[in-house]
Amino acid sequence: MRIATKSRLRPVQLLGYKPIIRALAGRDLKSRYKQSALGPAWVVFQPLALLVAFTIGFHSVAHVRTEGVPYSLFALTGLVVWTYFQAVTMGAVGSLVNNYALVRWTACPRMALPLATLVSNLPSFAIPAAAAVIAAGIMGFLRVQALLLPLLFVWLVVLVATVAIVLSAITVRARDVLSVTPFLLQVMLFLSPVGYGTSQLSPVLRTVISINPLTGLIEAWRWSLLGIVPSTTAVVISLALTIAGAAVAWQLFTSLEVSMADDI
Amino acid sequence: MTSEAVDPDRIGPPVVAEHLSKTYRLGELLRLEDTLRTVTRRATARPLLEALRGVSFEAYTGECYGIVGGNGSGKSTLLQILAGITLPTSGTLTVRGSVLPMLAVGAGFHHELTGRENSFLYGTILGLDRQVIESKLADIAAFAELERHFDTPLKRYSAGMQSRLCFAIAMLFPANVYCFDEVLAVVDGEFKDRCLAEVRALAAKGATVFFISHDLEQVGTLCDRVMWLQDGASREIGDAESVIERYGRHVAGVPDA
Repeated sequence: MRIATKSRLRPVQLLGYKPIIRALAGRDLKSRYKQSALGPAWVVFQPLALLVAFTIGFHSVAHVRTEGVPYSLFALTGLVVWTYFQAVTMGAVGSLVNNYALVRWTACPRMALPLATLVSNLPSFAIPAAAAVIAAGIMGFLRVQALLLPLLFVWLVVLVATVAIVLSAITVRARDVLSVTPFLLQVMLFLSPVGYGTSQLSPVLRTVISINPLTGLIEAWRWSLLGIVPSTTAVVISLALTIAGAAVAWQLFTSLEVSMADDI
Repeated sequence: MTSEAVDPDRIGPPVVAEHLSKTYRLGELLRLEDTLRTVTRRATARPLLEALRGVSFEAYTGECYGIVGGNGSGKSTLLQILAGITLPTSGTLTVRGSVLPMLAVGAGFHHELTGRENSFLYGTILGLDRQVIESKLADIAAFAELERHFDTPLKRYSAGMQSRLCFAIAMLFPANVYCFDEVLAVVDGEFKDRCLAEVRALAAKGATVFFISHDLEQVGTLCDRVMWLQDGASREIGDAESVIERYGRHVAGVPDA
């Protein structure tokens, strides 16, 4: 029996979303590269282009320190986190408003729409991640802490999901998010240690950069894959921000979702 | 909802609505002009629209319940609340069992995907198991008479073909309450008759069917009872024939008796 009142979504209910998330992600994957000459090859080009640009900008021009790791592998590890973060953010921000008909005319669970972008953009994670793991293995950087990579992936997913559900929900009310997201991502890329490390920054700047939840996560990935000692402060701050952010995001989304069919 | 199949009459009607009201704000949610007005403290509140005003009704198992009324009278809003897509501003609604909303043709379809792929997508969104859809694919194509077009992208379909596919998938869904909002407007006569027979069969099997249409003849032949909505209020609820007759006279401009 259902009585039409405000009943908040509970986290366990997400398990029931699995088939719908899979179906929506399948739809996005199938339709993304229709009528496209290079199709899925774009998943490779995007991080590759950034890697080349970083190698020129940060390595050849700025001479970034990489603690004895070849620069391209150092940057590639940062790009594992960044490429997925960017791909999901760009896909998720319009995931509700672009599915106007679903939100307005069906009972399709709202949170399934931004969460499906996490699944449909997995290739943007898997390809750089596989490349980084293989390269780190061949060059002999892999140590026992590489076994923590699955946990670091979970951390990445939680952080990305938080951003995805917050941005998609606010976009339903205020389309400003659609305009501001690409610009914010550009700024974020330079304020995150994707193409550089934090060890050579001044203490003040290092603290400022650590407030970015991506900083500790990227440093944790570099430690796990390449053995570069991370800043404990950055890791703790990022982990705390991820957990607190996820809780806030859940509250925000579940309070906004009841009126999404009216607001969209 | 298996436990509820025991004795439907002892637990009361499957749908009970009491004083449902829904209020919207007119105009746009956000505009630069309004933002500036808010900043300069010259904001004026946007006018309200009462889409539904205190609508009460109940519907029984095996009943076809028609809803008629002019554009903007609140029909679709009522079904959106019934389907749990939006909440009433005030009032209570109790629904026992699952609801299948079919409020817009093609909501849930993707134009780049084929008929087959869309059947999986839309079926899953409605809550069907993958295996169930898989086993019914041939039936969907046959009912919609789209066997030849089943592997063609939906963007090549006509509006009528999309309606056919949508209806064929929805018919597979075993729900207690079905909501149809003007979904047979663009299909041809032959298919319409088959759909109406299917809808009738759903009710005969014990479902409750809500049916919105501007085709009064259709509502008259299909429905047992009809609600006439006017400006968000239920003007009349009664047996289909008499309500439709009076509504038809009202539409034709004949003064109310």
